[in-house]
Amino acid sequence: MAEVLRMIALSPTMSEGRIAKWKMNEGTEFSSGDVLCEVETDKASMDYEAPTSASLLKIILQAGGTAKVGDPIAVIGQKGEDYASLLKERASEAGVAEKKAPGQQPSKEVSQKEKAVPGKTEQEPGSTPESAPQSDTENAPPRAPKASPASVGAAPRQTPQAPASVPPSSPLARKLALEKGIDIRLVPGSGPNGRVVERDILEFAERPKNTVVPEVAPQELRQGPTVIQPNMKRLVIARRLSESFFTAPHYFLKKKINAEALLELRATANAGRPAKLSFNAFLMKIVAEALVRHPEINVYWRVPAAASAADAAASPEPPTAMRPILEQRHSIDVGLAVALPDGLITPVVRDCNLKSASDIDAELAQLIEKARGGRLAPEEYEGAGFTVTNLGSFGIDEFTAIINPPGSAILAVGAIVKEPIVGDNDVIRVAQTLTLTLGCDHRSIDGAVGAVFLADLARMLENPGMALV
Amino acid sequence: MAEMTYREALNRALDEEMARDDRVFLIGEEVGEYDGAYKVSRGLLSKYGPKRVRDTPISELGFTGLGVGAAIAGLRPVVEWMTHNFALLALDQVVNNAAKLRQMSGGQLSVPIVFRGPNGPAEFLAAQHSQALGSYWMHVPGLKVVAPATPADAYGLLKSAIRNDNPVVMLEAELMYAWKGEVSEQEFLVPIGKARIAREGVDVTLITYSKPIRVVEEAADRLAEKGVQAEVIDLRSLRPLDEETIVNSVRKTGRCVVVDEAWPLASPGATIAHLVDSRCFDVLDAPVELVSGEDVPMPYNHTLELAAQPSVEKVIAAVAKVLYREDV
Repeated sequence: MAEVLRMIALSPTMSEGRIAKWKMNEGTEFSSGDVLCEVETDKASMDYEAPTSASLLKIILQAGGTAKVGDPIAVIGQKGEDYASLLKERASEAGVAEKKAPGQQPSKEVSQKEKAVPGKTEQEPGSTPESAPQSDTENAPPRAPKASPASVGAAPRQTPQAPASVPPSSPLARKLALEKGIDIRLVPGSGPNGRVVERDILEFAERPKNTVVPEVAPQELRQGPTVIQPNMKRLVIARRLSESFFTAPHYFLKKKINAEALLELRATANAGRPAKLSFNAFLMKIVAEALVRHPEINVYWRVPAAASAADAAASPEPPTAMRPILEQRHSIDVGLAVALPDGLITPVVRDCNLKSASDIDAELAQLIEKARGGRLAPEEYEGAGFTVTNLGSFGIDEFTAIINPPGSAILAVGAIVKEPIVGDNDVIRVAQTLTLTLGCDHRSIDGAVGAVFLADLARMLENPGMALV
Repeated sequence: MAEMTYREALNRALDEEMARDDRVFLIGEEVGEYDGAYKVSRGLLSKYGPKRVRDTPISELGFTGLGVGAAIAGLRPVVEWMTHNFALLALDQVVNNAAKLRQMSGGQLSVPIVFRGPNGPAEFLAAQHSQALGSYWMHVPGLKVVAPATPADAYGLLKSAIRNDNPVVMLEAELMYAWKGEVSEQEFLVPIGKARIAREGVDVTLITYSKPIRVVEEAADRLAEKGVQAEVIDLRSLRPLDEETIVNSVRKTGRCVVVDEAWPLASPGATIAHLVDSRCFDVLDAPVELVSGEDVPMPYNHTLELAAQPSVEKVIAAVAKVLYREDV
C-alpha cells in the first residue's frame, strides 16, 4: 500500500531538515537501508535511509525544500500503485491547516488559484521557494507549481515549539515551569528518557542563580531567551505607560537653560550644611512656583473607563457620561521619577508650593528610602499633578519622557554640562547649561500653553529670584 | 460500635430490610435450608419463612429472571448469586431486562432489585471460578454497581441498594466475608455513588475498590515508612463513579495508581485510569499506573495464582514509578 514518507529526526535535536539532494528519481525501486536522500540537519548532512523496500512513487518535497520532522516528503509504495487519494487527503489537510493559520503574509490569490485548478491539489507545506532549485525537474511528471508561497509556513510550521527540540516533560512540570518563569528546556530531566518531572523543576528553582547548568551544552544555553514572568510592579508600569503613550498625544518642547544661578543658589544654601540639599529639591521647588503661576498645566485629563478611543473618534458628541473631563487641580503635588532595581516608582511631594526646598529635600529623602524598601504606600506615589524626571546623573544630555497619567505634563531634565554660550555684548563664554524637555498631553495642554509655561519655568530657573516675584 | 464480620453485616442489613418492608425477599441457591453458601442468610428462613427466603434449583437465568419479573410486579427482590462466575448465565436477564425496562417503558416500569454475591478470585478455585467480573455490570447503563470493602459499607450499601428503585449489582468477595470491622449499632445508610477516602496523603493517590483494599492499605503502610504519604480512595461504587473525590485527590497529589484485581483490558481500573488521565492531565507528573490482575485465565497452581493478582510489591513498584523513585 502506498504511504507517505515523512521527515524524521536524524539527530536528537533536529526539528526540521532541508533536502540537500534526492539520491533517486521518482519510479526508482529501492531496498530497505538504501539512501533515499541527503538531509541537512541542524548539525550535519545526513543520509535518509529507506525504512522498507518499495518504490519512490512521488517526491513531495524537492531538493532545497525544508520540512519539519513529521512533515511528508515523498510517497512510497509498489510500482504503478495509485496514490492520488493519499495526496488528496494531504491537500485537504493542508487546506484546513491554512485556514487555521491566519495572518500569513503570502498572497491569498496564489493559494486560491491553486485550489481552483483541478489536479493541482498537491501542497508543499515544507518547502521554501527561495531555496528550491529549478534543476532536476526536467524529467519529472507534471506536478504542482514549486513551493507555493501560500503553503510556506502552513500550520505545522506555526507550532510555537518544535516538539523534537523540547525534552519530554510531565504536564505538572510544564505547569510549574510556567508558573515559576523557568525555561523548561534548560532543566535537566530525571525521569525516563530524560523526562522533566515536578522535582526537577523544584530543584531547578532552588538552584543558586549563577550556577551553570552542566547537563546542558553551552550551545543549548545560547539558544532562545529565558522566559521571565514580570512581577506585578513591572506589569503595572507596562500598563500605565502604554496607556499613557498610546492614548495621550504627546508633544515635546525643548529649552536649554543657563544653570549657573541655580547652582550658585544651591551652593550658597548648602554652605555649612552637613547634609547637602539635592539639586532635585530646588528644581521641584521652582517647578512648583511655576505651576502656581500656570494652573493650566496642573490638570488631569480623565477618560471614563468605558469610553474607548474608537468611540470618541466615531462620534464627536458622545453621551455626557462617556465624555472625557478636564480636572483642574488646586494643590501642587509634584512627583519625582526614581529608578529602583525592580522598576521605576514616582514618589509624590504634596503641596510643594507651601514647602521650602529643604522641606522638599527631607521629604524626598524619606520617600526614596521607603521606596527602596518597597514600603511606599499608594497615597505616597499616586496623584502627582506634574512629574519631574532627571537622568542628568547618567550624563544624558536631553531626553523625552512619557507622561505619568492622569497628569498632563512631565519635565525631563538632562545633565549639567559646560557649553559655550553667547553672553552679554555677544561675548562667547563657557557656562553650565542643562536642557529641559517638557512633554505635554495635547488633549489638555495646547502647544502655546506648554510653551509659555516652559519659557517661564526656564526664566525662573535661570533667575531663581523670580520665584519670589 | 460493634465489631462484626462482613457476612454478619450483610445478614443484619437483610434482616432489617426484610423486617422493615415485607416486599423484600431473598432468592437464590442454598439461601434457605443451608443458611446460604457463605452463611450470609443465616437464620432468615426460620425468621421470615419459605415465602420470603426461596431456595432455587441451579438455574441462574431462571431465578434471576424470576426476580426481575417480581420487581416489575412490585416486590423488592434480593437475588443471591453463589458467585458472579455463575451469574454469566443470567447476563441476559440483567442486561436486557433489568437494566433496560425503565427507559424502554418510558418510566412506566421500574425494577427495584438487588443482585449480589461474591466476585473475584478467592483461593484454589481455578480459572472458571476466580474471575473479577465487575466490568460486565459497570459497562451497562441502567445498572448501579456497588463494591463495599468493609463490613460497615457492606451493611450501609446493601440497605441503600434494597431501597433503590433501580437494579443494583453488588460485588462481594468470598475472602472478605470473614473480614471484621466496626459497624455502628445505630441504623445507617451509605449512599450509592460516594467514594471513601480510606487514608489521607499528599504524595500519590491509590484508587481501588473491594478486596484489594487490604493490599493497598498495607502498601500505604510500607510507603509511609519510606516517607511517602499515599492517599487511598476506596471507590465503594463503580457506577455511578464518584469522579469528584478521585479528581480532587489527584489534583492534590499529581500522581495516581489504580489497583484493580480484574484483568487489565476494558476493566474498571482501565476506565478509572482514563478518567484520571483526561480530567487531571494538567496536574499529572507521571502517567497513571494500573496494577491489575494478570491478563491470563487464573492458574490453579497457588504460587502462580498469587502471582497473577495485585500484590503489595506490585503496588509499591507502581508507586515508585509514578514518583520516579527507586528507593521506595
